[in-house]
Amino acid sequence: MSFQDYTPDQEDALQEVVNIAMGQAGSALAHILDSYVALSVPRVRIVSAQDVADAVAEMISGTREGDPEQMTAVRQAFFNNLRGESIVLFGAGGCDDLADLLGHDQALAQEETNEELLLDVANILSGAVLNGIAQQLETDFAYSAPTLMARGGSVQDLLNPEMLGWEYALLVEVNFSLEARGFSCHLVLLMPETSIDLMREVLDRMLEAL
Amino acid sequence: MSGDGGPDSELLEVIVDRVNVGVLVVDERFAVARWNRFMAMHSGIAPLEALGRDLFELFPDLPRRWLTQKLRSVFLLGNYAFTSWEQRPYLFRFPHNRPATAASVDCMRQDCTFIPIRDATDRVTHVCITVTDVTDACIYQMQLLDAMRRLEEMSVRDALTGIFNRGHIEARLRDEVARSRRHGDPLSVILLDVDDFKRVNDRHGHKAGDTVLREVVRRITGNLRQHDVCGRYGGEEFTVVLPGTDLPSARVVAERLRRAVACQAVETSAGPIKLSITLGVAQLDPDTIDHEMLLDRADRALYQGKRAGRDRVMTAADGC
Amino acid sequence: MALPVLVVDDSSMSRKLTIRAFPEGWDVDITQAANGREALERFEQGRGHVMFLDLTMPDMDGFGVLSEIRRRGLDCFVIVVSADIQPKAEERSRDLGAMAFLRKPVQAAELRAVLTEYGFL
Repeated sequence: MSFQDYTPDQEDALQEVVNIAMGQAGSALAHILDSYVALSVPRVRIVSAQDVADAVAEMISGTREGDPEQMTAVRQAFFNNLRGESIVLFGAGGCDDLADLLGHDQALAQEETNEELLLDVANILSGAVLNGIAQQLETDFAYSAPTLMARGGSVQDLLNPEMLGWEYALLVEVNFSLEARGFSCHLVLLMPETSIDLMREVLDRMLEAL
Repeated sequence: MSGDGGPDSELLEVIVDRVNVGVLVVDERFAVARWNRFMAMHSGIAPLEALGRDLFELFPDLPRRWLTQKLRSVFLLGNYAFTSWEQRPYLFRFPHNRPATAASVDCMRQDCTFIPIRDATDRVTHVCITVTDVTDACIYQMQLLDAMRRLEEMSVRDALTGIFNRGHIEARLRDEVARSRRHGDPLSVILLDVDDFKRVNDRHGHKAGDTVLREVVRRITGNLRQHDVCGRYGGEEFTVVLPGTDLPSARVVAERLRRAVACQAVETSAGPIKLSITLGVAQLDPDTIDHEMLLDRADRALYQGKRAGRDRVMTAADGC
Repeated sequence: MALPVLVVDDSSMSRKLTIRAFPEGWDVDITQAANGREALERFEQGRGHVMFLDLTMPDMDGFGVLSEIRRRGLDCFVIVVSADIQPKAEERSRDLGAMAFLRKPVQAAELRAVLTEYGFL
C-alpha cells in the first residue's frame, strides 16, 4: 500500500507553517544561548516506516555534526487531535558541553546534570516549534515529559522499523546550528497515519481561507 | 487567578485542592499564589501560611539558581517544562508514603511539570507547578535493575559452585587468546578432573558429591592469583585460564592445586572423603589455531595423566 | 497610477498571506516571484517599486537579492518578510539596505504602520 501524498499546495502550506514555527523556535534558542542560530529550510514529507531512518540519516549527514551513527536522542510526545512524537537528535560533539554553551557558571552547573540540560534544551526546541505550529493551525498541544532515548546510538537503531507502530508517517525535519560554536541539532516530528489525514483537512481549510 | 463563580468553577476548586498531585502556582516574583492540599499535607505548611510568601523563603533547600532559571524560561518562552526523578530525584523534600517498605529510598521521588498560565493579553503571568509522587515507580525500577543484574550474574555463574559456567569461561578464554596474540604475552590453560568422582557419588550419595565439588572449588580458587579465571567445564571437570603465564609457571600452579586437593580429606555429611585430581596443562603456541584447540591439547594431557595413574600433572609438552 | 509591487517568496501560500495583509483599497499592481533571480528579472521589467522579500529561498536568497540591488545601485523600497525573527537577521537585512523588517505571517496592522510611516498610504 502506498500513502496518498500531499498536493503541492498542501505541502507548500505545511512547509510554510513549519518554517514560521522554526523561526520562532530559533529565536527562543538564540535567546537562551545568546548566539545567532542558523536555520535550515524545513523538510516535510510522508515516509514509510522502512524508509524513515534512511531519510533522517541522509539529512543529518549533510550537516556539520553529521555522524548518523553517534546520536544522542531525546523524545517527547505531543497530542490533541493531531498527535505524534518529537525527537531531538544531538551529534556526538553537539552535547558535550551544553553547560558551557549556555554560559552556566560553576554554581549552577553543580545544581544540574548534563543529562538534565540536554532534556531542557530539547524540550525548549520542540516546545517552541510545536507551539508555533499549533498557533498557526489554531490548536493547542499537550506534551509529555521528555525522556532520553539513547546516548551515542545510531539513527537506524533509534528508528528501527520493527519498533515503530505505524506504516506511514508525516515526517517534519528542522536543523538548528550555531555559526560560531560547534553545536547543531536536528528536530524530527513524526505523526502517524491518522494525523496525516487530519493534517490534510486542516491544511485544506487554511488554503480555502486564503 | 481567582475563580469567577459558578458551580463549575467551584467544582474545579475542589478537584484542584483534593487531587492527589501537588499543585502550586507562583507569580513573576516567585510568590505563591496557589497551594493545594497535597502540598500542604506533605510540607506541613498550610495554604494560609504559604500564600503570598516567596517560594524560596518557604523552602530554603530548593536549588535556587537552577529553579529560578527554569521558571524564568517558562515566563519568557511560554513553554512547558519538566523534571524527571531519573535526573533530579525530587524538587521538594517530602517524606514518602512507604516508610515501612522502602528503606532504600530516602524521600518522595517526584516528576514535576511547569505550566505557563497566560492572562487575557496572552502574557505569561504565573507558572503552575505540578508535583507527582513517583516513589513507587522508582522503587519498581530499582527492583527491576537489581533483578536484571542478578539474572545477568546467574547467566554466567555455575549454580552449584558459584564459579563461572562453561559458556562464560570459554568466552573468556577466546578473549584471552585474542589478547595474547595481540600483545605477545604467554597464555596457559589447565583442565582438571576429580579422580573417581562417580565412585564418591555412588558410595556416599549426591549430597556428599556436591559438598566435594564445592570444597574442591574452594581449594582451587584459594590457590589462584587474582587475574586467573576459574570455571566449571562439565560435571567434575574444571578449567583454569592463566593469562601472562608460560608452561613452566602453569605447571607450578597446577602442582600447587593438586597438592591443595590431595593433602587433606574433605569433610562431608557422610564422613571424610580422600580425594585427588588429575590436571592437563597447555600453553598457547603459534600452531594452536584457537581456544578450542588449546583446550583440546590440555584435554589430551589430562587424558594422559589419567592413563598414567591419576593424581598428577601432565603438560601438553610431555609427548602429547 | 497603481503602484507596482513585487512579492517574492518560494512559498505560494506565504505570498498569498502577505498579499492578504495589504491595506484595503491600496492601489497596487501585484507581481509575484518564486525566487531571487526571478525577482531581479521582474524588477528590471519595472514590476517592483516596492518589494516584499523572503529571506530563505532556493536560487538566490533574500540577502543575495539585497546585495545585488545595492551592487547595481537600484532604487527599490524593500520590506523583508521573514520567518527568521532573530535580531541578527533584521540587523543584517537593514545593513544590506532593507527599509523594514516584518515577521511572518505579516500582520495587517504592522504593515499599515510601515506603509504609513514611509508615505505610501
